[in-house]
Amino acid sequence: MKAVTPVPVSFPKPMQTPHACCGCLSRRHCLKLISTAAAGLAFSGELFPALAKSRKADPDYVDPTRFRPRPKVCLDAAILQMPRPYWLGWPGTTYNLDQRQKEYRSLLRESCRRLAIQLHEEDKPIETESEFASFIKGIGERKPDGLLVILQHMNCWGWANRLANEASVPLVVFAPIGTSFTGHVAGLSRQRGVYVVSSLEWPAVEEGLHMIRAKRMFEETRVLWIQGKDRNETVLERLGTKVRAIPRDTFNQLFDRMPVNEEVKDVASTFRRHAKRVVEPTWQDSLNSGRTYTTAKRLMTDEQANAISMDCLGMVNAKLIPTPPCGAWTMFQDMGVTCGCEADLFGATSLMLTSYLLDRPGYMNDPVAETVKNRLIAAHCVSGSRIAGFDQKPAPYILRSHSESGLGVSVQVLWPVGAVVSLIRFQNPNELIIDTGIVERNIDTPPAGGCRTSVEIKMNDVEDCRDVLGFHQVVTLGNHRRIVEAFCQMYGITVIHSPEHSVRGKVA
Amino acid sequence: MLHACRLGALVLLVAVRGSAEVAFTSPGLVPSRMDDQGCLVEDWGLISVKLAGTGLPPTAPVAVQEIKLDGRIPAAQAQSQQGNVGLTVTAFRAPVWPAGLDVLTVRLAETGGQETPVQLSLVLPETTQAGSQTVSIAGRPVLGLPAGLAPARTMREWGWADEAMALPGWARPAVECDPAFRNIRAGIGGVPITYRFKVEPKEKVDVVLGFCESYWAQAGQRPVICQVEGAPAQEVDAVARWGQHQPGAVLFTAGDANGDGMLEVAVLPKPGAPDQNPILNAIWLFPAGTRPNLNQVIAGKLNAAALRYVAVGGTNDQSLVAGGQVEFPLKLPAGGARELTFLVACRGSSVPQAGPSAWTLEKLRQSAAAVWRDWR
Repeated sequence: MKAVTPVPVSFPKPMQTPHACCGCLSRRHCLKLISTAAAGLAFSGELFPALAKSRKADPDYVDPTRFRPRPKVCLDAAILQMPRPYWLGWPGTTYNLDQRQKEYRSLLRESCRRLAIQLHEEDKPIETESEFASFIKGIGERKPDGLLVILQHMNCWGWANRLANEASVPLVVFAPIGTSFTGHVAGLSRQRGVYVVSSLEWPAVEEGLHMIRAKRMFEETRVLWIQGKDRNETVLERLGTKVRAIPRDTFNQLFDRMPVNEEVKDVASTFRRHAKRVVEPTWQDSLNSGRTYTTAKRLMTDEQANAISMDCLGMVNAKLIPTPPCGAWTMFQDMGVTCGCEADLFGATSLMLTSYLLDRPGYMNDPVAETVKNRLIAAHCVSGSRIAGFDQKPAPYILRSHSESGLGVSVQVLWPVGAVVSLIRFQNPNELIIDTGIVERNIDTPPAGGCRTSVEIKMNDVEDCRDVLGFHQVVTLGNHRRIVEAFCQMYGITVIHSPEHSVRGKVA
Repeated sequence: MLHACRLGALVLLVAVRGSAEVAFTSPGLVPSRMDDQGCLVEDWGLISVKLAGTGLPPTAPVAVQEIKLDGRIPAAQAQSQQGNVGLTVTAFRAPVWPAGLDVLTVRLAETGGQETPVQLSLVLPETTQAGSQTVSIAGRPVLGLPAGLAPARTMREWGWADEAMALPGWARPAVECDPAFRNIRAGIGGVPITYRFKVEPKEKVDVVLGFCESYWAQAGQRPVICQVEGAPAQEVDAVARWGQHQPGAVLFTAGDANGDGMLEVAVLPKPGAPDQNPILNAIWLFPAGTRPNLNQVIAGKLNAAALRYVAVGGTNDQSLVAGGQVEFPLKLPAGGARELTFLVACRGSSVPQAGPSAWTLEKLRQSAAAVWRDWR
């Protein structure tokens, strides 16, 4: 289960991927901001650990944190109760309504503040049919992005069901223990457009708010699809993400003009300095990687974009760029900005899901079956390093070349052995694969070939590694099956799992 | 005098036809156009909207103009007045990934102050095949029908009645067999494949279904459930029974169990199967008691003896509904209006198959407005 607002005991030291003092803050101010972010007290673009920028004021400097979408998110919330005083019937006479409601209102306001959600809260609990009708009418007028109701009596479930069917707004239902039986929850909790929390765990309610925010982030995202020769813009069904296709040459032509400036040198040196080891990349490779980073920032700025999905392999194959963008993409991933490989648009949207919903990067992988040990090997040359969360200590990484070409800067991120990971993949906007497994080891290249970040995973609930579904599934740290499934249910996305039992049969 | 008359006729012609054709698109995509008669012209054919009803004149002058929806979205609009019914046809391009979709809205407004029954027709190419929710041409879904509004249909004696997709040449049978085994229809997204055949009420028939799996090499991936009316349902896993690329056939002793004069054949995904897209290659109907030799059926040697032979997804396949026109009988209340919205495939696109599409007219328009707002 995902920890919603991680609160580290201490500030992680040392910083292994660089952070930026964007805006030339004082060191003291900078540390204050980062500490605030690390404490989980605020989590906005300004507070991302970001890359070093030029020490000189550069008029062309592009602040990378601006790319992460910051949508306006509106939530309507109400407490549903029955007229007082309570007698028999749950939650019962001894349930302190005022105290509980005060507590939940406070938690709700704090969650909304933390997630930058605009809250429209009903001042008084709704307890009559006419008040409920007025609430529904208000929802229709305000058209919020999401709806939260806190149930304070077992007889309020009828209203919750009506909201699910009539409000046409994603609905979070919080039923603290003592306000439901299984029969109340069983149906509604499985209904499309609804997320039911029957628990005392407020963080689970906040997860619902995360889902609403993540969906709005998808809607606010314009992904640059850099491939082919066409220039156009379309929109993904259900997710609402804008896809701006631009000709592939746009990138390499801009790269050719991109100077080696102070920022590029800073990026190159910082990325090298924080690496556990540098194997192949030369200083010139690192400078080129830094230029890829500044090129991508400039292009996203010019195109009003928030993310990239690029035909990188095609460009390397055509020898249009001296380095694949792997190193730069790693840096962006760590800042919560999605940059995906091989123009795989749904690989990129899968990366967005881990970034927007789980607040952490991952990596899209080429899946390999290890048939002796029955393990899945997930390999690629790009991986975020802040795999435990954008505000958490990064994983160690080794700077390598891009394995297939031997060019430029790539990373081998060392994933924690024994940790649970999730593999997530949008097949299309209506269908998503999710599986989980446990990291057993990091595989080095050599002796292996393939890609630099290469992780051996023992799959959970998949008998045979050959049956793992998908390609370019995004590997992300933690078991996120429950929240991802809930997100999919909320927004009408069909969830698929790899087959639990191996299918053995006649093979031609 | 003759010259003057001709000139007058020409002036009249210009007046009734209004402006010339109007092109519309979304940023970077190939435009569609509305011609000067208000017909939508697509790469697959032309859609013409017709109105008929008691007391309505058969035709009316049409004025076509270029408009901007929501102040931003380029659109084409055709307006006409047929008696007491005003007809407005509006089309714009929605930027649906990857190639866009045209959105055609037909608005009928009663202006005479009395309830008016009308028949709205979308005239389409003769080669179109109408399913329950979409209309296809050569296997490509090109028109999405409004949800919850059943069109009047002319039914054929047999054909498919589903939203599955024809995939000619999909299968690669490894042995010599009937050419039907090269084609399939696939129920993408778990859509059942359904055929209906006219028979005598309560008639018994032998039905043979043919399969050839060319995607999966492994058994257990795409088991399907075959439901043939009057016969017990059978599960078929083509790879498990015959192997990949191997044609196979299954016999059903069937009949018109409900006595409605139609025999229904359906292939559904097996619940829980990894691949939820059912496929079917061929159907044969034989007189009851024939008990055909399945090897000969697979070899194509009994086609002539069959009551029906369907190369599913192939050249002799057809929709149960006759193509060429989709008709909607509507009743317009006095002074009231009805609006129908159709999704239309444009160059490079197909309309979504039936299923849980998230697109609504509102979202399509919002998307178009958002894309145009930021495009430069």
